[in-house]
Amino acid sequence: MRVPRALRTAGGVLSAAWLVFLLFASVTASWWLPYPVDAQDPAHTLAGPSSSHWLGTDELGRDAASRIAAGSWISVGPALLAVIVAFGIGIPLALAAAEHGRWAEHGFSRFAELLLALPSIVILLAFVGAVGVHPWAIMTVLGVLLSAPVYRIFLGQAQSLRTRLYVDAARVNGVSSLRVNLRHVLPAMATTIAVQAAQLFAISVLIEAGLAFMGFGPSVPSPSWGGLIAAASQHVYDDPWLMVPTGVVLALTVIAANGLADAVAGGREREAVPARHRKPRTIVRAASAGPHDAGGMLLDVRDLTVAVGGPDGPALVTGVSFALPPGTVLGLVGESGCGKTMTARALPGLLPEGVEVTGGSVWFAGRDSADRDLAGLPDNELRAIRGREIAVISQEPMVALDPMFSVGYQLTQPIRRFRGVGRAEARRIAAELLGQVGIVDAGRMLRSYPHQLSGGMAQRVCIALALTGSPKLLIADEPTTALDVTVQAEILSLLRALVRTTGLSVIIVSHDPGVVADLCDEVAVMYAGQVVESGTVAEVLGQPAHPYTAALLAANPHVAEGLPVPERLPSIPGTVPAPPDWPAGCRFASRCSLATAECAAPVPATPVHGAGTVRCVHPLSSPAELPVPHPVERGVPS
Amino acid sequence: MLTYLARRLAFAVTTVLAASVVSFLLVHASSGSPGAITAGAGATPAQVAAENHRLGWDQPLVTQYLTWLGHAASGNFGVSLIDGHDIWSDLTARLPVTASIAVFATLLSGVFGVLIGVAAAVRGGLADRSVTVGSGVALSLPQFWIGILLVYLIAIKAHLLPATGYVAFSASPGQYLQSLALPVITLTITGTAIIARTTRTGMISALRQEHIRTLHALGTPPWRIRYVHALRFAAAPVVSVLGIQFIALFGGSVVIEQLFALPGLGQAAQNAIGTNDFPAVQGVVVIATVVVVITNLVLDLVLGAIDPRVRTA
Amino acid sequence: MNALVPAPSVPALSVPALSVRDLTVRYGRAGKTLPAVDGVSFDVAPAETLGLVGESGSGKSTIGKAILGLQPPNAGRILLHGTDITGASLRQRRVTAIDLRAVFQDPYSSLNPAQTIGQTLIEPLQVLRVPKDQRRPRILESLAAVGLPADAADRYPARFSGGQRQRIAIARALVCDPQVIVLDEPVSALDLSTQAQVLNLLADLRDSRQLALLFIAHDLGVIRFLAQRVVVLYRGQVMEAGGAEDVTQRPRHPYSIALTAAAPVPQPAEQARRRAAREALGVGTAGATPPAAAGCPFATRCPLATDVCHRERPPLVLGVACHHADQVARLRLPDRAA
Repeated sequence: MRVPRALRTAGGVLSAAWLVFLLFASVTASWWLPYPVDAQDPAHTLAGPSSSHWLGTDELGRDAASRIAAGSWISVGPALLAVIVAFGIGIPLALAAAEHGRWAEHGFSRFAELLLALPSIVILLAFVGAVGVHPWAIMTVLGVLLSAPVYRIFLGQAQSLRTRLYVDAARVNGVSSLRVNLRHVLPAMATTIAVQAAQLFAISVLIEAGLAFMGFGPSVPSPSWGGLIAAASQHVYDDPWLMVPTGVVLALTVIAANGLADAVAGGREREAVPARHRKPRTIVRAASAGPHDAGGMLLDVRDLTVAVGGPDGPALVTGVSFALPPGTVLGLVGESGCGKTMTARALPGLLPEGVEVTGGSVWFAGRDSADRDLAGLPDNELRAIRGREIAVISQEPMVALDPMFSVGYQLTQPIRRFRGVGRAEARRIAAELLGQVGIVDAGRMLRSYPHQLSGGMAQRVCIALALTGSPKLLIADEPTTALDVTVQAEILSLLRALVRTTGLSVIIVSHDPGVVADLCDEVAVMYAGQVVESGTVAEVLGQPAHPYTAALLAANPHVAEGLPVPERLPSIPGTVPAPPDWPAGCRFASRCSLATAECAAPVPATPVHGAGTVRCVHPLSSPAELPVPHPVERGVPS
Repeated sequence: MLTYLARRLAFAVTTVLAASVVSFLLVHASSGSPGAITAGAGATPAQVAAENHRLGWDQPLVTQYLTWLGHAASGNFGVSLIDGHDIWSDLTARLPVTASIAVFATLLSGVFGVLIGVAAAVRGGLADRSVTVGSGVALSLPQFWIGILLVYLIAIKAHLLPATGYVAFSASPGQYLQSLALPVITLTITGTAIIARTTRTGMISALRQEHIRTLHALGTPPWRIRYVHALRFAAAPVVSVLGIQFIALFGGSVVIEQLFALPGLGQAAQNAIGTNDFPAVQGVVVIATVVVVITNLVLDLVLGAIDPRVRTA
Repeated sequence: MNALVPAPSVPALSVPALSVRDLTVRYGRAGKTLPAVDGVSFDVAPAETLGLVGESGSGKSTIGKAILGLQPPNAGRILLHGTDITGASLRQRRVTAIDLRAVFQDPYSSLNPAQTIGQTLIEPLQVLRVPKDQRRPRILESLAAVGLPADAADRYPARFSGGQRQRIAIARALVCDPQVIVLDEPVSALDLSTQAQVLNLLADLRDSRQLALLFIAHDLGVIRFLAQRVVVLYRGQVMEAGGAEDVTQRPRHPYSIALTAAAPVPQPAEQARRRAAREALGVGTAGATPPAAAGCPFATRCPLATDVCHRERPPLVLGVACHHADQVARLRLPDRAA
């Protein structure tokens, strides 16, 4: 049986152990307590800890430890009841509201808001006034009041879970709604339920203690933690110590409940802020030594290696080299997991947390100075380059803009920072940039907010934002993947026009060779962290030298016009190997129909296509060399 | 936007009415009757019944409620059964006490909590861990326990501040602040812990957002990313929690007021319930609910001001 | 008709497997929002593959949801083998629509991560109360049909790649031996090489099982590969309908032309020509002007638009919904040199 996640951490085990101990102690109290709960010892009243009374005695000489232990169940049990009631009401209502749509949801939610608005303590007291002091009944009422926040939390979760396609699939297959909830929705909520239950339990224990403190707990001789603290507070002059043990036990119980919640949540709370947002620390790598002859290139990437967690960690990108002359567009094309995005993001130092450049150099011909190796620069120097000389646009334009600020604000801020102009002038420049990216009503756009824009409009704004620093290089990370095909065509035309009019250089990352054919002058095909082929677009796409490139192009259902549609698409058997499984030799060999024994040795990049390279022992001299399409692959799960 | 406000207002009124109905029913569900109180301890059943009749207790529930509602709408909450004081003026006199505590505690919690939460999120490491642990401990101790401890250490041992009692601002501003100090400190400890946690979580979540990556890619200075953009994004949940804090302080002030002997609404509630003073109970519940709904309305407005998505929806 | 895609072997006059008549679906209140689907009609013949193509906002996914019972239509009818299933609740569909199954887009959220593959595949059989001894054999059979080994049934979805998960989703649709399958963008989230594998599988199923497939997609190349007929949607209305080869190679509606012109091809010289021709078309920017409530939905962007286009909705005549269908020829991309 799998150990529940909660018990895998030290915190989880300790918390669970404390709670179990408490429960056990209070239930079996009468058997092991050193002193009966009511035994008074007039000779030793209000005494501190001693060998006979470990935690001291109270005002009537009763043993404090015994009373605390004996009072555990009545202090904790009703809180548990409150939680059970709250969840027992809140969750079914949340599931029902999520399922039955607008009217049910409106009704339940209004009712929940009503419950939330009632002053709970006052209602509880009024209840006490009406029916008297019954801790279990009072906590049941608390449970009813608490069902409202439980409902709210789980309504959102249930609604979001119901958008998952496997719920739709089950409903389409005729699965009954009860079963859909039990087997598909509820299991996914299990973690949140456990976390919220533990936290609610902690709150209920504190509320109950408060009520007992005020005198609304169990009647006088039988102890409860709140009551014990109340009694102790009367004697705080004479015996301040008496307050402490009960408070500590209470606190430990609450901490244990929250600790259990944390453990179940899987330590999500302990996630820290990404390093780049903390105060900067030391530089990871030293800059490459010596002067560099870029040969007029804007960007010269040599042997770039990117790895996770330092030089010894698994590499995501190895030995990538390419050069970018000014005013050209380079495409990095490949499928998911080939390392194209990591390569692009490594250039301006925008790799995600834990991923670093561990080898190679990135020579960049900066605006004012000689070439510098970006891979060796500290973050504050890279910051000066970002935006000003190298800009980035990414895949999801809708979330790339700050939802809290208007488009105008987001454009004028960087304009002012880069160009040193005042607010009015910045606004004028912003309008001009918007015009440059094809937005007609610039004034209205400046006043709009990101959530009011369509995908295509948002991407245009992101491009305008990228242009605020007048950069020389634009890195576009799958900029049109999330857009409709007609919108994509417009954005690609826009990028072409910008390259032509401003001399901008672009590196575009894409999985679509058609996009590359439209926009790019040069292309580098990537597979499993390496560049397997590079050259001009006409050469690589027209006469692919690497078997992978040829196979990738053949698998494309967009056949050239005039040619008939194939009966079956040529497909590549197998799947892309993950970084830990990369062989020393050719990484495509296991899927390549031309592979031989020589492919097991490391394959260097050899010249092809004039100025291009290919990493292959048997480069194709014509596409026809690639054998006939494979049948449908019988895949084996890994 | 206007229709939205109108709907919220209508809902607020409904909530107050609902609360009054609930407390009305609870009051009538209890075993006592007002006649028994006004007639006195040794009264005969006939005298009690006569008093009940005089007070309208034997009328149908709906009539009683509507009568009460009619009076309440014009600001007349009746008089106390115990000592005949006017409930409305008593409650309005007590309101500033509870309000002072709630306002000061919320403000201080907000300021300290945000500062600590942002620092924890931004610095990470040891600072972050100590804030997490510290707030965990602060939130696990009952407020009244902390209060007693502070009374013992500061008032009794060190004689720095008065342990109990309230002095109105109009009487002496200095003593007013002194009398509020210990209760506010007690509440601020818990409040700061909650706000610090919320801020920290909000900042961490904000700094992971995609638009923060965009700002980073533009070379935006880190202080701007943190304190202008991330903080704004994290503000909404923090403001929500501050609102909940304020409401909780109003509703939960009963214990604190008892501990520090402050003549606020909480005391009024406890007294009224403890003595079966029915009209007073009604009055307290209504006032407390009114405060809650007004706070919620203000909260909605503030959230609309912060988050454009709420505004233009 | 595309000569290479086998024609359905059933005579054309039989009852359509799936029929949609004047379907209208609206989110939000009438008068406040435009309908997502506005008076759409089409048929899918038995053993035929129909492609429903359009961009975001075209209503294609909503049509799929309405057919499957996930989104109640505001008007119109849906017929399965001639039986009206329009108002049927999901419970009623257990009986009336057992022949209708679905495959969804996102392979990562279409399988319950807490259930094994076997449990996921058994569920539809349990609903139909298939005898217990027949369940396991049928699961293994459908796994084999999609090219997965028998031991896959005991594993959890996390062990499988995107392409494999889509196969499992297809197996789930096949396990009840359906006659009609609605596929909502089944390959859009997959890499090119994986997409090719799954498309080949779907082509095999199409040919071997005589299934009627409603294939919803935004990629014309994929539609051309798999479908025999195509319906082109724009803002909830049918713009063009016809044989797949005809519509994708010789489109007759300005929007279809814009759509075919916009898809880039991986041959640079060819793409340059297409781009020049596309820019010469003069189609307006998407999203620049808000959609109109009356008239042809494409009128705000169409280079041929005149007054009548803004006033009256064009009827679907001979498979094209355009007031100026006769002038469309001059818009068409020039054929390449042979």
